[in-house]
Amino acid sequence: MIRLFMCLCLAVAVLASPLRAQEGPLRIEITEGVIAPLPYAVPSFVPGNAAASELSANIARVIASDLNGTGLFRQIPDAAHISRVTSFASPVQFSDWKAINAQALIVGAVDVDATGRVTVRFRLFDVFAGQELGQGLQLVGTTDGWRRIAHKVADQVYRRLPGESGYFDSRVVFVSETGPKGSRQKRLAIMDYDGANVTYLTDADALVLAPRFSPLGNKVLYTSYESGEPRIYELEVGSARRRPLESQAGTMSFAPRFAPDGRSLVYSLSQSGNTDLFRMDLGTGRSDRLTSAPSIETAPSFSPDGGQIVFESDRSGTPQIYVMPAAGGEARRISFGQGRYGTPVWSPRGDRIAVTKQSKGRFHIGVMRTDGSEERLRTASFLDEGPTWAPNGRVIMFTRETQGEQGSSNLYSVDITGRNLRQVATSTGASDPAWSPLQE
Amino acid sequence: MWAMLDTGQKVSAVGHVGFLAVAIFGGTFNADPLPFQVTEVTAISAEEYAALFEAEPSPEAVANVDTPEPPEAGQAPDLSATVDTDVTQAAPEQSAQSEPDATPEVVEPAPVEAEVSDEAPVLQPPSEDVAVLVPEIADEARPEDAPRVAPETIAQPEPDVLIDDVDQAATTEDDTAEQVEEAQEETAREAASERIVTEADDAAPARSLRPQARPTRPSEPAEAEETQTADSDNDAVEDAIAAALGGTDETSQAAPSGPPLTSGEKDALRVAVQECWNVGSLSTDALNTTVIVAVSMLEDGRPNTGSIRMLSASGGSGAAASQAFEAARRAIIRCGANGFPLPVEKYGQWRDIEITFNPENMRIR
Repeated sequence: MIRLFMCLCLAVAVLASPLRAQEGPLRIEITEGVIAPLPYAVPSFVPGNAAASELSANIARVIASDLNGTGLFRQIPDAAHISRVTSFASPVQFSDWKAINAQALIVGAVDVDATGRVTVRFRLFDVFAGQELGQGLQLVGTTDGWRRIAHKVADQVYRRLPGESGYFDSRVVFVSETGPKGSRQKRLAIMDYDGANVTYLTDADALVLAPRFSPLGNKVLYTSYESGEPRIYELEVGSARRRPLESQAGTMSFAPRFAPDGRSLVYSLSQSGNTDLFRMDLGTGRSDRLTSAPSIETAPSFSPDGGQIVFESDRSGTPQIYVMPAAGGEARRISFGQGRYGTPVWSPRGDRIAVTKQSKGRFHIGVMRTDGSEERLRTASFLDEGPTWAPNGRVIMFTRETQGEQGSSNLYSVDITGRNLRQVATSTGASDPAWSPLQE
Repeated sequence: MWAMLDTGQKVSAVGHVGFLAVAIFGGTFNADPLPFQVTEVTAISAEEYAALFEAEPSPEAVANVDTPEPPEAGQAPDLSATVDTDVTQAAPEQSAQSEPDATPEVVEPAPVEAEVSDEAPVLQPPSEDVAVLVPEIADEARPEDAPRVAPETIAQPEPDVLIDDVDQAATTEDDTAEQVEEAQEETAREAASERIVTEADDAAPARSLRPQARPTRPSEPAEAEETQTADSDNDAVEDAIAAALGGTDETSQAAPSGPPLTSGEKDALRVAVQECWNVGSLSTDALNTTVIVAVSMLEDGRPNTGSIRMLSASGGSGAAASQAFEAARRAIIRCGANGFPLPVEKYGQWRDIEITFNPENMRIR
């Protein structure tokens, strides 16, 4: 009888087993989320002494400005803070920061010694996890360089939260424009990425165009009409000394750009009405022809590995984007959309190319894959042109010119997603920006 | 010519001639005319036609028609109206208020205390408790099991006896006999049955068991655990069930219990988590990374934050996986702070959760 009962139990169990809809833990999949700036708090850094009092507030302000400017973070104002950070070493009251929905917390301290040395310490906390993100960091500089210290702190925060390198401790060289549109004066200038600390590199005697940073950021290539014809110059940022690189009689050279190794450059040379690309060895001064076509080839840009060059050519009848080996050779067209394409720039990440596109009377800044696929237009206006990539490849800066006699040129930045379009604060009109690599 | 015709043609010619003769002279074509209606008319001249219609004069236009005088300007029409008087309606007589129903006293059913003894119950086979509808099965002479069917039943021979077609007794040498016979072994016919015995006839139970009455549910599970008998038969049953479910005792304890979550309950959890899954601050590399995160839940629906861990990641670098996991963890902690909307009665089903965070739809396009 027991055997019979066991058989019945077995039968029931076997029959019931398919009804068990779940084995092990409950499993769900999340495929939709929200895209919103991450709320964070950065209370004024704790001053170690009276001399650091003003500086500690300024540093926190610049850090917040950097992070807010990305569009990825949202600062919770100090007035909403429940906890007050009075000591760098005191434990964080996570519940107080949770209550105001601060998901990240930056606390720091500033000390200034008698010699003017500034020491900044900071920590970053994941509030809801109740733990520190990474290790605390200490930065030392001078009082004059406090902004750079703040930018470096922001870079560290950016590296730990979004998980990619920042771009705050970088500079931008650009053409400063003053005067009316018909007789505008243009000078080379350099500034922090956020528009601070502007320094002029050239005077307004000659028209200057298209400055480009060297890979180390210590030199700038640009085009000047100083001799009456466009010529390429190399300028040392620290000393502002410059030298012409190409001076063949009866030619025009322009659109220079450094190779990733910094030892050569590629540029356009116009001779007898034809424009082709050349590559110059900066050590020997020798130039090699890269293209030989009756069309106009210009605006070359190296891939980050230095193996390829993307450039603009009208060999198909309209300006389009082409890619060829860095040593020259057969070029393949990658832009096939309607309109005209120009000023291509390879992303520092190597995965995308930013371009200027003119279509239906409007100008756009667009991005595409290196094979021309997934073209996306990120801006649109009367005139947007000349994109340049941030060192991390996440942000693009470009020139936007407004219409009419009173129109002016200004610098704008936009995330590669097309979000967070912002004007870069400059004291004068500005055009032709070129972003430096991160400073050491 | 008539002679040249064959018989058939002659018959045909005679037939046709005869038919025509009958048709012509027999009155076949003298049918009565079809009926029709006759109306008599009279032809008249044009003058007569005109004189006929002049006799009827055309109607004259009426000049003087009595029309109502328009109201004088400024004279407002009398629009006075009487207000309808309210219809007096007799209020219904209010009957005496009935006594409210007495609130039924909710009597909590007293938990039935399980009468449990430490001694293992003795399982006794039901003797008289047979199924009602089971026909009585009369005891029937059951043939011996035999592999062969024959017209007559043959008993099982002795094991040492040879099988043969006839039964023969064994012979032995008799030294005293004059005629010596060869020794012969005993033979017998192979065992046989006169009917086929099937397996069903052999193994089917004669009677079915009436199901036992539902056992009284113990009031407390703890008590139930304590009352687990040590009877070996019951252990064997439990082992058999566990084996059938494909797991050992340990795995069966870890497996979720209770009814599974409905799709709506799962969706509610999914929506609750995704509302806090903020990928806006993730790097492009992290947006290409899918992470699977495990979390143990408290019974009130809140996550045990210390248990949140990444099980696996795919699609990105290690740093990207770390960033993606941090975002996932923030989502679980933030939106689970007040408890996820999960049915507590199914806690066994969601005590452990694995969440796949797949940012495929959130990537930079």
